[in-house]
Amino acid sequence: MSYYELMGTFELSFIFAILALGAFITFKILDFPDLTVEGSFPVGASIAAVAIVSGIPVISNPWVATLLAAFAGFAAGYVTALLNVKFKILHILAGILVATALYSINIRIMDGPNVPLLNVDTIYTVFDDIEIMASFEAKTLFLGVFVLAVKLLLDAFLATGVGMSMRAAGANAAMAEANGVDVGKMKLIGVGVANALAAVAGALFAQTIGASDAQSGVGMIIVGLAAVIIGMSLMPSRLIWQATFAVIFGTAAYRLAIAGALNADSLGLNASDLQMVTAILVIFVLVAQHYSKSYFAAKKGAKK
Amino acid sequence: MIDLQNIHVTFNAGTPLETRALKGIDLKVPEGEFLTVIGSNGAGKSTSLNSIAGIVPVGRGKVMVDDTNITKWPVHKRSKIISRVFQDPKMGTCEDLSILENYAIACGRTKPKGFGFAVNKDIRAQATESLSVLGLGLENRLNDKVGLLSGGQRQALSLLMATTGETKVLLLDEHTAALDPKTAAFVMDLTNRLVEELGLTVVMVTHSMSQALDTGHRTIMFHQGRIIFDISGQERADMEVKDLLDLFKKDQGQELADDSLLLG
Repeated sequence: MSYYELMGTFELSFIFAILALGAFITFKILDFPDLTVEGSFPVGASIAAVAIVSGIPVISNPWVATLLAAFAGFAAGYVTALLNVKFKILHILAGILVATALYSINIRIMDGPNVPLLNVDTIYTVFDDIEIMASFEAKTLFLGVFVLAVKLLLDAFLATGVGMSMRAAGANAAMAEANGVDVGKMKLIGVGVANALAAVAGALFAQTIGASDAQSGVGMIIVGLAAVIIGMSLMPSRLIWQATFAVIFGTAAYRLAIAGALNADSLGLNASDLQMVTAILVIFVLVAQHYSKSYFAAKKGAKK
Repeated sequence: MIDLQNIHVTFNAGTPLETRALKGIDLKVPEGEFLTVIGSNGAGKSTSLNSIAGIVPVGRGKVMVDDTNITKWPVHKRSKIISRVFQDPKMGTCEDLSILENYAIACGRTKPKGFGFAVNKDIRAQATESLSVLGLGLENRLNDKVGLLSGGQRQALSLLMATTGETKVLLLDEHTAALDPKTAAFVMDLTNRLVEELGLTVVMVTHSMSQALDTGHRTIMFHQGRIIFDISGQERADMEVKDLLDLFKKDQGQELADDSLLLG
């Protein structure tokens, strides 16, 4: 893998890390397996792309466009949580329903299957003429700082009264309710924020590859899940700040493993094998976790 | 303080499994009273407790606490005036959170949850002070996850958490039943101390007849969804487990199934 490719891998892994931090909120904090991201990721991409190419002042500012994407993502997640909390629809099903609807909504938003971002300003435009380093390096560095900022904000949020209540709501709903926590509200906020992050990742992804595509959400749920599972099994994640760091690390590890697998000529894999490789990787980690647990349990038992 | 008026609860209404768990319960618990509740399995004691807490929706009737009609209030809203300790020590605390974080959540029970940090100097000092009362050394383990504590330690912590803030009513659902006798005695002793100190109104469900008679001020017994007797004062003070069984027999014309209640 060349240096350029390596930087590219990091660039993408930082973008997906934003989505993975969202998956961390839903899967780990709220215990709410949320599949909405398959829809909210491309919605973020399309809203941002449409806003950027619209040419309308303010709205076409790439930062404003990305913010709009975040709001749309929040709304999508909120609807999923509402279906679950208010109407008792199974969380997984609620996510699938919203993601399915979003596929059509997305094509409506873009008025077609994709929107190219040609000759328009994106949030990366400022790095085009940078002196001190190559623009691809600057982009990667910028995304790394961006992810770190999101991580720190999330850490801080989870330490607030509301954040702590959210953690309790996911870990022990009966205890949370007995302590005055509105568990339903916590799900609405948490799933909303998670999808806002997915949409921001989508918006940054579209600006990175220079287009928004209705198909770009396929497999996003596994990307998030893989990052969370791989990260948290490779790194210490007892404390929240460790866990969020592990998620970012997990995304990078996962992207590197994928890039390595797809680049290895001996394996003969194509880019289209990405989803399969990802699934196998996640299965591998889960199986390894299962065996290491029983291995350690047996060791512990032998000591006694 | 607590006023249940003609409470009816029916599970699986309209199905072959229909069970009428409560058949018109009227119960007044004045402020500062410690009420113990006994009854065999399925008698309705836990259901009545859950109807006060809001976990079981009542079909008919009114739940009043502190002169406020809370019949339609959701659980989390009721928890601002009612606190609970569960039977299962795992239920009352979050095992993935630290002792301090659990304590902080409990401190937030009566206050709106803001965006200030949940754990701050004040909370830490308060937690250290109140945990040291337990004499379990938990005040030195504030950052340990609650999952590392034993059942008795967790139950003692739950009890402390339930009595922070401005609690008026404390509901105890067989909170010592899952503990070994020595730990149960410790938790019961702690309960009595905290209740007396804070002047709480308490409803305690128990399976143990002797615990019911030895604790608190008044004892009621549930049978088949109704309160079959209600004793207090001197009458209760003179009573032993055997008298309670005789009373049941006289009242119901049948022997109480011994295996459903702990007689010891």
